[in-house]
Amino acid sequence: MSRRKVADTVRTLVLTVLSLLIISPLIILFASSLKGTRQEILADAGSWKAFIVTKPTLQNFVEVLSPDSMTPFLRYLLNSTIVLVLTVVLTIVVSSMAAFVLYQGRFRGKKLLLAGITALYIIPMETIMLPMLYEVLNLGISDSYFVQVLPFVASPLFIFFFYQFFSQVPSSIGEAALIDGAGPFRIYLQIYMPLNKSALATVAILQGMSMWNQYLWPLLSVSTDNYRPITVAIASFFGSDTILWNLAMAGSVLMMLPVLIFYLAFQRYFIASVMSSAVKE
Amino acid sequence: MKTRRLSPDSLTMAAMITPALVLLVLFLVVPFFISIGLSFTNQRLLPGPIPTKFVGLRNFETILKDAEFWRAFLNVLFFTAMVIPLQCGFALLSAILLNGQKKRQRLFQGAFFLPYITPMVVVCVIWSTMFQFPSGVLNSLLKIVSFGMAQPVEWLGNPKTALLSITLLSAWQAYGFQMVIYMAGLQNIPVELYEAAAMDGVHGWKRFTSITWPSLYQTNVFVLIITTIQALQLFTQVNILTQGGPQNSTNTLVHYIYRTGFVIQNIGKASAASIILFVLVVVIYFSLSRLTQNDPTEAKA
Repeated sequence: MSRRKVADTVRTLVLTVLSLLIISPLIILFASSLKGTRQEILADAGSWKAFIVTKPTLQNFVEVLSPDSMTPFLRYLLNSTIVLVLTVVLTIVVSSMAAFVLYQGRFRGKKLLLAGITALYIIPMETIMLPMLYEVLNLGISDSYFVQVLPFVASPLFIFFFYQFFSQVPSSIGEAALIDGAGPFRIYLQIYMPLNKSALATVAILQGMSMWNQYLWPLLSVSTDNYRPITVAIASFFGSDTILWNLAMAGSVLMMLPVLIFYLAFQRYFIASVMSSAVKE
Repeated sequence: MKTRRLSPDSLTMAAMITPALVLLVLFLVVPFFISIGLSFTNQRLLPGPIPTKFVGLRNFETILKDAEFWRAFLNVLFFTAMVIPLQCGFALLSAILLNGQKKRQRLFQGAFFLPYITPMVVVCVIWSTMFQFPSGVLNSLLKIVSFGMAQPVEWLGNPKTALLSITLLSAWQAYGFQMVIYMAGLQNIPVELYEAAAMDGVHGWKRFTSITWPSLYQTNVFVLIITTIQALQLFTQVNILTQGGPQNSTNTLVHYIYRTGFVIQNIGKASAASIILFVLVVVIYFSLSRLTQNDPTEAKA
């Protein structure tokens, strides 16, 4: 074997071992979720048995999904899904329209407005969460879907992101359409949006991942099971002295599965989106 | 000044940008100013018997004299100092291994990126079984590696190891992000540089230190900025796993704000702490951004 071939084999070997190490915690998750009791999960936790299931059972899933259980996961999953879908759709509409006006509009102070909106990106959500809670408590819109959706819809990052995509569309296309008598909204909807489908996919993936993970804000603003997202529900397992590991594992798998399915189907787009979120900043 | 009639097109444009402007004002600008305003008061989160009054800089004084705040501040610094080499180092290693891989690159990349798509709450559930004392996977591993010499560690329960444990799981969850950035950075290095090095007989580690690392300067600065800013905002895993304990050893700035404003309901003091965090983020962002101007590879060109 040539030196090059040896190097390739070694690399593949190293990558295989590292991959297995990296995904091993996830194997524990899926194996544990199929074990019958929390005692079994804890007893297996310290050995190779953590990675396998001898007598798989769906008991934990039945328990967390049943509507009369203490932990109505169907409700939590539905809440998280509603918040995610609403936020993603509204983010795309609101942020892209704003970006379109910032790019195609002709008004005084346009550059200043764009700079101002971009500068807002420096304010981390974490530093305004409590004042925002104070604000929504006073507005009387806490504990709702709205309160979980609205703060994330107009995002300086995504407005800037769409702006950059739009600025790659030759402005002559828009001007030609204007001469043909098309209004701005038609130009936006029929020219800019179709030309930037990849921007839509990227924003949908990034915003979708971020919304599925929302924790601090719903922890503060949501107080009942009616609107509680799955993140806060899973975290509440940790509140008690004896953690119901079997249910926590089943709940975690339910939260992980949709992400995993989307990821396996669109892996290339996930990675490309994350890459472009970094490059665009 | 002459008055102009707005064309229907301008009206459409105005209507299109209005939702974004309203929401940005309502959920970014207003809360930001509320936090400035409240930071000078003794306001409670929910109206209480004590009337709200202006207290000047007293909130800032109390915070800067508060040992818990400084502990949180130091913890975040320690966390940042540990997580950056661990997370970015492993990300770079993975990116280099993956970049050279022709066969099955997508498969390996898919596996390496899996932790990043795993929700943090789920990560906490999995890792807390791995951290189990005395018999979790990590303690078993420790036993094997030390040939039975090491005593089992109470990972999250011991003030000496709790922050380290949080660092480990955080790095595992998040390194995929830095890995992807490094993959992009590596692809931007001109192939000619490597070809020239090969002709000079430069390989392996030497090749990394003389070509790869210097060419990644801008990428490194970017990764450093974004990882630091993210580290400053550490909250979720701490809130779920340790609540800042034991003995404040995993308390963080965001957790301090959360505790002060939400649990203790002292929103005035929490707002002041928020402003301190904001100033910290801005200062760190701008001082690290200056690093981009000292690019050694640019200077040579």
